[in-house]
Amino acid sequence: MRDNKLRSIYLSLFAAFICILFPWSGIALTLRPDFMLLVIIFWLLRAPNQCSVGTAWFMGLWVDLATGGIFGQYALAYTITTFFAVIYQRRLVLFSSTQQLVYVFSLLFLSQLILLILKAFAGHEFAGWSYFLPSVTGILLWQIAVSLGLNTGRHSHGN
Amino acid sequence: MMRGIHQNFDQQQAPAFFARGPSPLARLTFFTALSLALMATDSRLQYLANVRENLMTLLHPLQVIANAPLQLYQNTDEYFSTHHHLLADNARLKKQALMQGIALQRLNLLNLENANLRSMLDAKQSLAETSTLAEIIHVGRDSFTKKIIVNRGKNHHVVTGAAAVDAKGVIGQVTRTYPSSSEITLITDKSLAIPVQIERNGLRAIAFGHGRDNTLDLPYLPANVDIKRGDKLVTSGIDGVYPAGLAVATVIEMRTTQDSPFAHIICAPTGGVENDRQVLLVSIPKIELETLIETPASEKSNPAPATIPAAANTPVAASAATQTTQTVQAAKPATASSVNNPAQKPLANVESRPHARQ
Repeated sequence: MRDNKLRSIYLSLFAAFICILFPWSGIALTLRPDFMLLVIIFWLLRAPNQCSVGTAWFMGLWVDLATGGIFGQYALAYTITTFFAVIYQRRLVLFSSTQQLVYVFSLLFLSQLILLILKAFAGHEFAGWSYFLPSVTGILLWQIAVSLGLNTGRHSHGN
Repeated sequence: MMRGIHQNFDQQQAPAFFARGPSPLARLTFFTALSLALMATDSRLQYLANVRENLMTLLHPLQVIANAPLQLYQNTDEYFSTHHHLLADNARLKKQALMQGIALQRLNLLNLENANLRSMLDAKQSLAETSTLAEIIHVGRDSFTKKIIVNRGKNHHVVTGAAAVDAKGVIGQVTRTYPSSSEITLITDKSLAIPVQIERNGLRAIAFGHGRDNTLDLPYLPANVDIKRGDKLVTSGIDGVYPAGLAVATVIEMRTTQDSPFAHIICAPTGGVENDRQVLLVSIPKIELETLIETPASEKSNPAPATIPAAANTPVAASAATQTTQTVQAAKPATASSVNNPAQKPLANVESRPHARQ
Protein backbone atom coordinates (compact mmCIF):
# COMPACT_ATOMS: atom_id res chain seq x y z
CA MET A 1 0.00 0.00 0.00
CA ARG A 2 2.76 2.36 1.04
CA ASP A 3 4.92 1.33 -1.93
CA ASN A 4 1.94 1.78 -4.18
CA LYS A 5 1.44 5.29 -2.91
CA LEU A 6 5.14 6.11 -3.31
CA ARG A 7 5.02 4.86 -6.86
CA SER A 8 2.00 7.01 -7.70
CA ILE A 9 3.69 10.02 -6.09
CA TYR A 10 6.78 9.63 -8.23
CA LEU A 11 4.77 8.87 -11.36
CA SER A 12 2.63 11.97 -10.92
CA LEU A 13 5.67 14.15 -10.22
CA PHE A 14 7.27 12.74 -13.34
CA ALA A 15 4.12 13.45 -15.35
CA ALA A 16 4.07 17.02 -14.04
CA PHE A 17 7.68 17.43 -15.09
CA ILE A 18 6.88 16.18 -18.61
CA CYS A 19 4.01 18.71 -18.70
CA ILE A 20 6.53 21.45 -17.95
CA LEU A 21 8.82 20.15 -20.69
CA PHE A 22 6.10 20.47 -23.35
CA PRO A 23 7.08 23.05 -25.95
CA TRP A 24 4.80 25.81 -24.63
CA SER A 25 4.97 29.11 -26.42
CA GLY A 26 3.21 32.45 -26.66
CA ILE A 27 -0.11 32.75 -24.81
CA ALA A 28 0.04 29.14 -23.65
CA LEU A 29 3.34 29.87 -21.91
CA THR A 30 1.86 32.88 -20.12
CA LEU A 31 -1.11 30.84 -18.98
CA ARG A 32 0.74 27.63 -18.17
CA PRO A 33 -0.02 26.63 -14.58
CA ASP A 34 2.77 25.41 -12.35
CA PHE A 35 1.98 21.71 -12.71
CA MET A 36 4.82 20.67 -10.47
CA LEU A 37 3.75 22.79 -7.52
CA LEU A 38 0.11 21.70 -7.89
CA VAL A 39 1.11 18.04 -7.77
CA ILE A 40 3.41 18.67 -4.82
CA ILE A 41 0.67 20.49 -2.87
CA PHE A 42 -1.77 17.71 -3.69
CA TRP A 43 0.57 15.06 -2.28
CA LEU A 44 1.39 17.23 0.74
CA LEU A 45 -2.29 17.09 1.63
CA ARG A 46 -2.80 13.46 0.73
CA ALA A 47 0.43 11.86 1.89
CA PRO A 48 2.36 14.23 4.15
CA ASN A 49 4.61 11.41 5.35
CA GLN A 50 5.88 10.54 1.90
CA CYS A 51 6.01 13.96 0.28
CA SER A 52 7.49 16.85 2.17
CA VAL A 53 9.70 19.92 1.94
CA GLY A 54 12.65 17.82 0.75
CA THR A 55 10.69 16.38 -2.16
CA ALA A 56 9.59 19.87 -3.16
CA TRP A 57 13.17 21.13 -3.00
CA PHE A 58 14.43 18.26 -5.14
CA MET A 59 11.71 18.71 -7.77
CA GLY A 60 12.39 22.45 -7.70
CA LEU A 61 15.95 21.73 -8.77
CA TRP A 62 14.68 19.82 -11.81
CA VAL A 63 12.36 22.67 -12.72
CA ASP A 64 15.33 25.02 -12.39
CA LEU A 65 17.22 22.84 -14.82
CA ALA A 66 14.32 22.82 -17.27
CA THR A 67 13.87 26.59 -17.17
CA GLY A 68 17.59 27.15 -17.60
CA GLY A 69 17.74 29.77 -14.87
CA ILE A 70 20.09 29.94 -11.92
CA PHE A 71 20.02 26.76 -9.85
CA GLY A 72 18.03 27.06 -6.65
CA GLN A 73 15.37 29.63 -7.60
CA TYR A 74 12.45 27.27 -8.01
CA ALA A 75 13.92 25.06 -5.30
CA LEU A 76 13.76 27.95 -2.83
CA ALA A 77 10.29 29.03 -3.94
CA TYR A 78 8.94 25.48 -3.62
CA THR A 79 10.64 24.98 -0.24
CA ILE A 80 9.06 28.06 1.31
CA THR A 81 5.67 27.40 -0.28
CA THR A 82 5.52 23.80 0.86
CA PHE A 83 6.54 24.87 4.35
CA PHE A 84 3.37 26.94 4.55
CA ALA A 85 1.37 24.04 3.17
CA VAL A 86 2.87 21.61 5.68
CA ILE A 87 2.30 23.68 8.81
CA TYR A 88 -1.39 24.06 7.96
CA GLN A 89 -1.82 20.57 6.52
CA ARG A 90 -3.98 19.29 9.41
CA ARG A 91 -6.32 22.24 9.13
CA LEU A 92 -6.34 22.18 5.33
CA VAL A 93 -7.76 18.69 5.15
CA LEU A 94 -10.67 19.87 7.32
CA PHE A 95 -11.38 22.86 5.09
CA SER A 96 -14.27 22.98 2.68
CA SER A 97 -13.29 22.77 -0.97
CA THR A 98 -13.70 26.54 -1.45
CA GLN A 99 -11.50 27.31 1.54
CA GLN A 100 -8.95 24.87 0.24
CA LEU A 101 -9.09 26.52 -3.15
CA VAL A 102 -8.37 29.93 -1.65
CA TYR A 103 -5.47 28.53 0.33
CA VAL A 104 -4.00 26.74 -2.70
CA PHE A 105 -4.31 29.98 -4.66
CA SER A 106 -2.41 31.88 -2.00
CA LEU A 107 0.29 29.19 -2.03
CA LEU A 108 0.67 29.42 -5.82
CA PHE A 109 0.72 33.19 -5.57
CA LEU A 110 3.36 33.03 -2.85
CA SER A 111 5.65 30.86 -4.91
CA GLN A 112 5.36 33.26 -7.85
CA LEU A 113 6.01 36.18 -5.55
CA ILE A 114 9.18 34.56 -4.23
CA LEU A 115 10.35 33.90 -7.78
CA LEU A 116 9.57 37.50 -8.69
CA ILE A 117 11.66 38.78 -5.78
CA LEU A 118 14.55 36.49 -6.74
CA LYS A 119 14.33 37.68 -10.35
CA ALA A 120 14.22 41.28 -9.22
CA PHE A 121 17.48 40.71 -7.36
CA ALA A 122 18.96 39.38 -10.60
CA GLY A 123 18.01 42.64 -12.33
CA HIS A 124 14.90 41.61 -14.25
CA GLU A 125 11.86 43.81 -14.57
CA PHE A 126 8.31 43.02 -13.52
CA ALA A 127 6.52 41.98 -16.70
CA GLY A 128 3.06 43.21 -15.67
CA TRP A 129 0.17 41.61 -13.86
CA SER A 130 -0.17 38.87 -16.45
CA TYR A 131 2.81 37.34 -14.66
CA PHE A 132 0.43 36.08 -11.98
CA LEU A 133 -2.00 34.42 -14.43
CA PRO A 134 -0.49 30.94 -13.87
CA SER A 135 -1.81 31.08 -10.29
CA VAL A 136 -5.31 31.63 -11.64
CA THR A 137 -5.06 28.84 -14.21
CA GLY A 138 -3.50 26.72 -11.49
CA ILE A 139 -6.54 26.91 -9.21
CA LEU A 140 -8.82 26.43 -12.22
CA LEU A 141 -6.99 23.18 -12.91
CA TRP A 142 -7.25 22.28 -9.21
CA GLN A 143 -10.98 22.96 -9.24
CA ILE A 144 -11.46 20.89 -12.39
CA ALA A 145 -9.54 18.01 -10.79
CA VAL A 146 -11.64 18.27 -7.62
CA SER A 147 -14.95 18.40 -9.50
CA LEU A 148 -13.86 15.36 -11.50
CA GLY A 149 -13.72 13.51 -8.20
CA LEU A 150 -10.08 13.83 -7.15
CA ASN A 151 -9.91 13.61 -3.37
CA THR A 152 -7.57 16.32 -2.14
CA GLY A 153 -7.31 14.79 1.31
CA ARG A 154 -10.50 16.31 2.66
CA HIS A 155 -12.23 14.38 5.43
CA SER A 156 -15.43 16.40 5.38
CA HIS A 157 -17.37 14.15 3.03
CA GLY A 158 -19.40 12.54 5.72
CA ASN A 159 -16.94 9.88 6.83
CA MET B 1 4.31 33.51 16.10
CA MET B 2 7.31 31.24 15.58
CA ARG B 3 7.08 30.15 19.22
CA GLY B 4 3.48 29.28 18.64
CA ILE B 5 4.42 27.13 15.67
CA HIS B 6 7.10 25.41 17.73
CA GLN B 7 4.68 24.55 20.49
CA ASN B 8 2.28 23.29 17.91
CA PHE B 9 4.88 20.89 16.52
CA ASP B 10 5.94 19.70 19.95
CA GLN B 11 2.41 18.75 20.69
CA GLN B 12 1.93 17.17 17.30
CA GLN B 13 5.07 15.12 17.38
CA ALA B 14 4.49 13.74 20.84
CA PRO B 15 2.95 10.39 19.82
CA ALA B 16 5.29 8.23 17.73
CA PHE B 17 2.27 7.41 15.63
CA PHE B 18 2.40 10.87 14.09
CA ALA B 19 6.19 11.09 13.81
CA ARG B 20 7.27 12.99 10.73
CA GLY B 21 11.02 13.22 11.16
CA PRO B 22 12.62 16.65 11.53
CA SER B 23 10.20 19.51 12.10
CA PRO B 24 9.07 21.47 9.03
CA LEU B 25 10.87 24.54 10.34
CA ALA B 26 14.15 22.63 10.51
CA ARG B 27 13.59 21.34 6.99
CA LEU B 28 12.71 24.81 5.79
CA THR B 29 15.91 26.25 7.26
CA PHE B 30 18.05 23.46 5.86
CA PHE B 31 16.67 23.52 2.33
CA THR B 32 16.49 27.30 2.17
CA ALA B 33 20.16 27.50 3.11
CA LEU B 34 20.94 24.86 0.50
CA SER B 35 19.02 26.77 -2.19
CA LEU B 36 20.71 30.05 -1.32
CA ALA B 37 24.12 28.37 -1.42
CA LEU B 38 23.28 26.86 -4.81
CA MET B 39 22.15 30.21 -6.18
CA ALA B 40 25.29 31.94 -4.98
CA THR B 41 27.49 29.20 -6.44
CA ASP B 42 25.71 29.12 -9.76
CA SER B 43 25.60 32.85 -10.31
CA ARG B 44 29.11 33.72 -9.13
CA LEU B 45 31.22 30.62 -9.72
CA GLN B 46 31.56 28.24 -12.63
CA TYR B 47 31.48 24.92 -10.75
CA LEU B 48 27.94 24.02 -11.72
CA ALA B 49 28.31 24.43 -15.50
CA ASN B 50 29.50 20.83 -15.89
CA VAL B 51 26.81 19.49 -13.58
CA ARG B 52 24.16 21.33 -15.58
CA GLU B 53 25.54 19.97 -18.82
CA ASN B 54 25.46 16.38 -17.57
CA LEU B 55 21.96 16.74 -16.19
CA MET B 56 20.81 18.25 -19.48
CA THR B 57 22.13 15.15 -21.25
CA LEU B 58 19.97 13.10 -18.89
CA LEU B 59 17.03 15.36 -19.60
CA HIS B 60 17.32 15.16 -23.37
CA PRO B 61 15.31 11.91 -23.85
CA LEU B 62 12.51 13.38 -21.71
CA GLN B 63 12.55 16.50 -23.85
CA VAL B 64 12.23 14.37 -26.98
CA ILE B 65 9.24 12.57 -25.44
CA ALA B 66 7.62 15.86 -24.47
CA ASN B 67 8.14 17.24 -27.97
CA ALA B 68 6.73 14.15 -29.65
CA PRO B 69 3.03 15.21 -29.69
CA LEU B 70 3.76 18.55 -31.32
CA GLN B 71 6.15 16.92 -33.77
CA LEU B 72 3.50 14.39 -34.69
CA TYR B 73 0.93 17.12 -35.17
CA GLN B 74 3.26 19.11 -37.41
CA ASN B 75 4.15 16.07 -39.46
CA THR B 76 0.52 15.12 -40.04
CA ASP B 77 -0.28 18.75 -40.77
CA GLU B 78 2.40 18.79 -43.43
CA TYR B 79 1.13 15.53 -44.84
CA PHE B 80 -2.38 16.87 -45.25
CA SER B 81 -1.40 20.27 -46.59
CA THR B 82 -3.46 21.11 -49.62
CA HIS B 83 -2.49 20.87 -53.25
CA HIS B 84 -3.16 24.55 -53.76
CA HIS B 85 -0.96 25.49 -50.83
CA LEU B 86 1.92 23.39 -52.16
CA LEU B 87 1.61 24.90 -55.64
CA ALA B 88 1.69 28.44 -54.27
CA ASP B 89 4.68 27.57 -52.13
CA ASN B 90 6.48 26.02 -55.07
CA ALA B 91 5.89 29.04 -57.28
CA ARG B 92 7.12 31.38 -54.58
CA LEU B 93 10.26 29.33 -53.96
CA LYS B 94 11.03 29.11 -57.69
CA LYS B 95 10.79 32.86 -58.00
CA GLN B 96 13.01 33.27 -54.94
CA ALA B 97 15.57 30.79 -56.30
CA LEU B 98 15.70 32.72 -59.59
CA MET B 99 16.25 36.03 -57.84
CA GLN B 100 18.87 34.60 -55.54
CA GLY B 101 20.56 32.76 -58.42
CA ILE B 102 21.15 36.05 -60.16
CA ALA B 103 22.43 37.63 -56.95
CA LEU B 104 24.69 34.64 -56.37
CA GLN B 105 26.27 34.94 -59.82
CA ARG B 106 27.09 38.54 -59.09
CA LEU B 107 28.39 37.55 -55.66
CA ASN B 108 30.83 35.04 -57.17
CA LEU B 109 32.14 37.73 -59.47
CA LEU B 110 32.43 40.17 -56.59
CA ASN B 111 34.21 37.62 -54.41
CA LEU B 112 36.75 37.02 -57.14
CA GLU B 113 37.21 40.73 -57.63
CA ASN B 114 37.53 41.25 -53.89
CA ALA B 115 40.17 38.54 -53.59
CA ASN B 116 42.12 40.11 -56.43
CA LEU B 117 41.94 43.55 -54.89
CA ARG B 118 42.97 42.22 -51.51
CA SER B 119 45.96 40.43 -52.97
CA MET B 120 46.95 43.62 -54.82
CA LEU B 121 46.69 45.62 -51.60
CA ASP B 122 48.46 42.88 -49.62
CA ALA B 123 45.53 43.00 -47.18
CA LYS B 124 44.32 40.19 -44.97
CA GLN B 125 41.85 37.66 -46.39
CA SER B 126 38.48 37.65 -44.71
CA LEU B 127 37.66 34.43 -42.95
CA ALA B 128 34.93 32.12 -44.11
CA GLU B 129 32.32 31.48 -41.41
CA THR B 130 31.14 28.00 -40.54
CA SER B 131 27.43 27.53 -40.14
CA THR B 132 25.05 24.91 -38.82
CA LEU B 133 21.33 24.74 -39.51
CA ALA B 134 19.35 24.17 -36.33
CA GLU B 135 15.70 23.80 -35.51
CA ILE B 136 14.05 25.37 -32.48
CA ILE B 137 12.97 22.71 -29.97
CA HIS B 138 11.15 25.05 -27.64
CA VAL B 139 11.18 28.61 -26.43
CA GLY B 140 12.56 29.37 -22.99
CA ARG B 141 10.25 28.57 -20.08
CA ASP B 142 11.37 31.52 -18.03
CA SER B 143 9.04 34.45 -18.69
CA PHE B 144 11.72 36.93 -17.60
CA THR B 145 14.27 36.07 -20.27
CA LYS B 146 14.05 35.76 -24.03
CA LYS B 147 15.67 32.48 -24.88
CA ILE B 148 15.16 29.61 -27.27
CA ILE B 149 16.55 26.09 -27.27
CA VAL B 150 17.67 24.55 -30.56
CA ASN B 151 18.45 20.97 -31.48
CA ARG B 152 22.14 21.36 -32.30
CA GLY B 153 24.84 21.27 -29.66
CA LYS B 154 28.43 20.43 -28.89
CA ASN B 155 28.14 17.15 -30.80
CA HIS B 156 27.42 19.23 -33.91
CA HIS B 157 30.33 21.61 -33.24
CA VAL B 158 28.19 24.50 -32.07
CA VAL B 159 30.29 26.81 -29.93
CA THR B 160 29.25 29.31 -27.30
CA GLY B 161 29.19 32.77 -28.81
CA ALA B 162 28.05 31.76 -32.28
CA ALA B 163 25.55 34.11 -33.90
CA ALA B 164 22.03 32.86 -34.61
CA VAL B 165 20.68 34.13 -37.91
CA ASP B 166 17.54 33.51 -39.91
CA ALA B 167 16.64 34.42 -43.49
CA LYS B 168 15.88 38.01 -42.55
CA GLY B 169 18.53 38.90 -40.00
CA VAL B 170 20.26 38.26 -36.71
CA ILE B 171 18.04 36.83 -34.01
CA GLY B 172 20.48 36.12 -31.19
CA GLN B 173 23.59 34.48 -29.88
CA VAL B 174 24.40 31.03 -28.51
CA THR B 175 24.93 31.43 -24.77
CA ARG B 176 25.06 27.86 -23.52
CA THR B 177 25.90 24.66 -25.31
CA TYR B 178 24.85 21.18 -24.21
CA PRO B 179 25.80 17.91 -25.96
CA SER B 180 22.79 17.82 -28.25
CA SER B 181 21.08 21.15 -27.78
CA SER B 182 22.05 24.73 -27.18
CA GLU B 183 20.50 27.82 -25.71
CA ILE B 184 20.18 30.98 -27.77
CA THR B 185 19.62 34.33 -26.08
CA LEU B 186 17.55 36.49 -28.40
CA ILE B 187 18.61 40.02 -29.28
CA THR B 188 15.51 41.27 -27.52
CA ASP B 189 16.76 39.89 -24.18
CA LYS B 190 17.82 42.51 -21.72
CA SER B 191 21.23 41.01 -21.13
CA LEU B 192 22.28 40.87 -24.78
CA ALA B 193 24.07 43.71 -26.56
CA ILE B 194 24.97 43.71 -30.22
CA PRO B 195 27.34 46.11 -31.99
CA VAL B 196 25.56 47.68 -34.94
CA GLN B 197 26.08 50.23 -37.64
CA ILE B 198 23.51 52.48 -39.30
CA GLU B 199 23.37 51.33 -42.90
CA ARG B 200 22.74 54.84 -44.23
CA ASN B 201 25.70 56.67 -42.69
CA GLY B 202 27.92 54.03 -41.13
CA LEU B 203 27.44 55.36 -37.60
CA ARG B 204 28.41 52.73 -35.04
CA ALA B 205 26.38 52.02 -31.93
CA ILE B 206 25.47 49.22 -29.58
CA ALA B 207 21.92 47.90 -29.47
CA PHE B 208 20.52 46.44 -26.26
CA GLY B 209 17.49 44.20 -25.95
CA HIS B 210 14.53 45.82 -24.26
CA GLY B 211 13.42 42.71 -22.41
CA ARG B 212 9.67 43.10 -22.25
CA ASP B 213 8.48 44.11 -25.71
CA ASN B 214 10.06 42.66 -28.79
CA THR B 215 12.21 45.71 -29.35
CA LEU B 216 15.78 46.91 -29.06
CA ASP B 217 17.11 50.13 -27.59
CA LEU B 218 19.95 52.30 -28.80
CA PRO B 219 20.96 54.06 -25.59
CA TYR B 220 23.72 56.58 -24.91
CA LEU B 221 23.49 58.37 -28.24
CA PRO B 222 23.38 62.18 -28.15
CA ALA B 223 20.10 63.93 -28.84
CA ASN B 224 21.41 65.41 -32.08
CA VAL B 225 22.50 62.04 -33.51
CA ASP B 226 21.83 61.47 -37.20
CA ILE B 227 19.30 58.66 -36.93
CA LYS B 228 15.88 58.75 -38.52
CA ARG B 229 12.81 56.58 -38.43
CA GLY B 230 13.19 53.71 -40.88
CA ASP B 231 16.98 53.56 -40.67
CA LYS B 232 18.33 50.05 -40.93
CA LEU B 233 20.80 48.68 -38.43
CA VAL B 234 23.30 46.08 -39.59
CA THR B 235 25.99 44.25 -37.63
CA SER B 236 29.23 46.16 -37.69
CA GLY B 237 31.36 43.07 -37.22
CA ILE B 238 33.86 44.80 -34.94
CA ASP B 239 33.11 42.41 -32.11
CA GLY B 240 34.38 39.37 -33.98
CA VAL B 241 31.21 37.50 -33.05
CA TYR B 242 28.73 38.49 -35.71
CA PRO B 243 29.74 38.54 -39.37
CA ALA B 244 29.55 42.12 -40.67
CA GLY B 245 26.58 43.41 -42.62
CA LEU B 246 23.76 41.23 -41.33
CA ALA B 247 20.45 43.00 -40.84
CA VAL B 248 19.54 43.45 -37.18
CA ALA B 249 16.71 45.93 -36.76
CA THR B 250 14.85 48.92 -38.12
CA VAL B 251 14.42 52.15 -36.20
CA ILE B 252 10.72 52.59 -35.42
CA GLU B 253 10.87 55.49 -33.03
CA MET B 254 13.32 58.33 -32.46
CA ARG B 255 12.42 60.77 -29.74
CA THR B 256 14.29 63.46 -27.87
CA THR B 257 13.16 64.98 -24.62
CA GLN B 258 14.13 68.25 -22.97
CA ASP B 259 15.31 66.67 -19.76
CA SER B 260 17.66 64.08 -21.23
CA PRO B 261 20.86 64.64 -23.21
CA PHE B 262 20.37 61.27 -24.87
CA ALA B 263 18.06 60.33 -27.71
CA HIS B 264 15.38 57.76 -27.07
CA ILE B 265 15.62 55.29 -29.94
CA ILE B 266 13.52 52.15 -30.30
CA CYS B 267 14.11 49.56 -33.01
CA ALA B 268 12.17 46.51 -34.17
CA PRO B 269 14.20 43.40 -34.98
CA THR B 270 14.30 42.44 -38.65
CA GLY B 271 14.67 38.69 -38.11
CA GLY B 272 11.72 36.57 -37.13
CA VAL B 273 12.66 36.59 -33.45
CA GLU B 274 9.34 35.10 -32.37
CA ASN B 275 8.10 33.10 -35.29
CA ASP B 276 10.71 31.05 -37.10
CA ARG B 277 11.49 27.40 -36.68
CA GLN B 278 14.86 27.18 -38.41
CA VAL B 279 17.90 29.19 -37.49
CA LEU B 280 21.43 29.24 -38.83
CA LEU B 281 24.21 29.23 -36.25
CA VAL B 282 27.14 31.11 -37.71
CA SER B 283 30.49 31.06 -35.98
CA ILE B 284 33.68 32.73 -37.03
CA PRO B 285 36.38 30.05 -36.61
CA LYS B 286 38.58 30.56 -33.60
CA ILE B 287 40.78 27.55 -34.46
CA GLU B 288 43.03 29.95 -36.35
CA LEU B 289 44.64 30.78 -33.03
CA GLU B 290 46.07 27.27 -32.69
CA THR B 291 47.27 27.00 -36.28
CA LEU B 292 48.93 30.34 -35.78
CA ILE B 293 51.15 28.89 -33.10
CA GLU B 294 51.83 25.65 -34.90
CA THR B 295 52.56 26.70 -38.47
CA PRO B 296 55.75 28.74 -38.03
CA ALA B 297 57.39 25.96 -36.05
CA SER B 298 56.61 23.30 -38.61
CA GLU B 299 57.39 25.10 -41.82
CA LYS B 300 60.68 26.74 -40.89
CA SER B 301 64.02 25.21 -40.08
CA ASN B 302 64.78 27.68 -37.27
CA PRO B 303 61.80 27.46 -34.93
CA ALA B 304 63.18 29.60 -32.11
CA PRO B 305 62.68 33.14 -33.53
CA ALA B 306 59.43 32.12 -35.20
CA THR B 307 57.63 30.86 -32.10
CA ILE B 308 58.50 33.82 -29.92
CA PRO B 309 56.57 36.42 -31.93
CA ALA B 310 53.69 33.99 -32.26
CA ALA B 311 53.58 33.54 -28.52
CA ALA B 312 53.82 37.28 -28.09
CA ASN B 313 50.80 37.73 -30.30
CA THR B 314 48.63 35.17 -28.54
CA PRO B 315 47.92 37.11 -25.33
CA VAL B 316 46.78 40.06 -27.44
CA ALA B 317 44.31 37.86 -29.26
CA ALA B 318 43.18 36.15 -26.10
CA SER B 319 42.76 39.25 -24.00
CA ALA B 320 40.75 41.22 -26.52
CA ALA B 321 37.83 38.84 -26.42
CA THR B 322 35.54 41.16 -28.31
CA GLN B 323 37.85 41.58 -31.26
CA THR B 324 39.37 38.13 -31.35
CA THR B 325 38.97 37.44 -35.04
CA GLN B 326 40.28 40.71 -36.27
CA THR B 327 43.30 40.45 -34.06
CA VAL B 328 43.92 36.92 -35.20
CA GLN B 329 43.58 37.94 -38.79
CA ALA B 330 45.87 40.81 -38.13
CA ALA B 331 48.36 38.70 -36.30
CA LYS B 332 48.72 36.24 -39.14
CA PRO B 333 50.54 38.43 -41.69
CA ALA B 334 52.53 39.86 -38.82
CA THR B 335 53.83 36.44 -37.85
CA ALA B 336 54.50 35.50 -41.44
CA SER B 337 56.63 38.55 -42.00
CA SER B 338 58.38 38.22 -38.69
CA VAL B 339 59.61 34.78 -39.66
CA ASN B 340 61.86 36.44 -42.17
CA ASN B 341 62.62 39.57 -40.19
CA PRO B 342 61.66 39.56 -36.50
CA ALA B 343 62.48 43.27 -36.11
CA GLN B 344 59.69 44.19 -38.52
CA LYS B 345 57.02 42.63 -36.31
CA PRO B 346 55.70 45.45 -34.12
CA LEU B 347 55.21 47.79 -37.07
CA ALA B 348 53.39 45.18 -39.12
CA ASN B 349 51.16 44.34 -36.20
CA VAL B 350 50.06 47.92 -35.68
CA GLU B 351 49.47 48.49 -39.38
CA SER B 352 47.31 45.48 -39.90
CA ARG B 353 45.09 46.08 -36.89
CA PRO B 354 41.75 47.28 -38.10
CA HIS B 355 41.12 49.46 -35.06
CA ALA B 356 44.28 51.41 -35.59
CA ARG B 357 42.96 52.54 -38.92
CA GLN B 358 39.43 53.40 -37.83
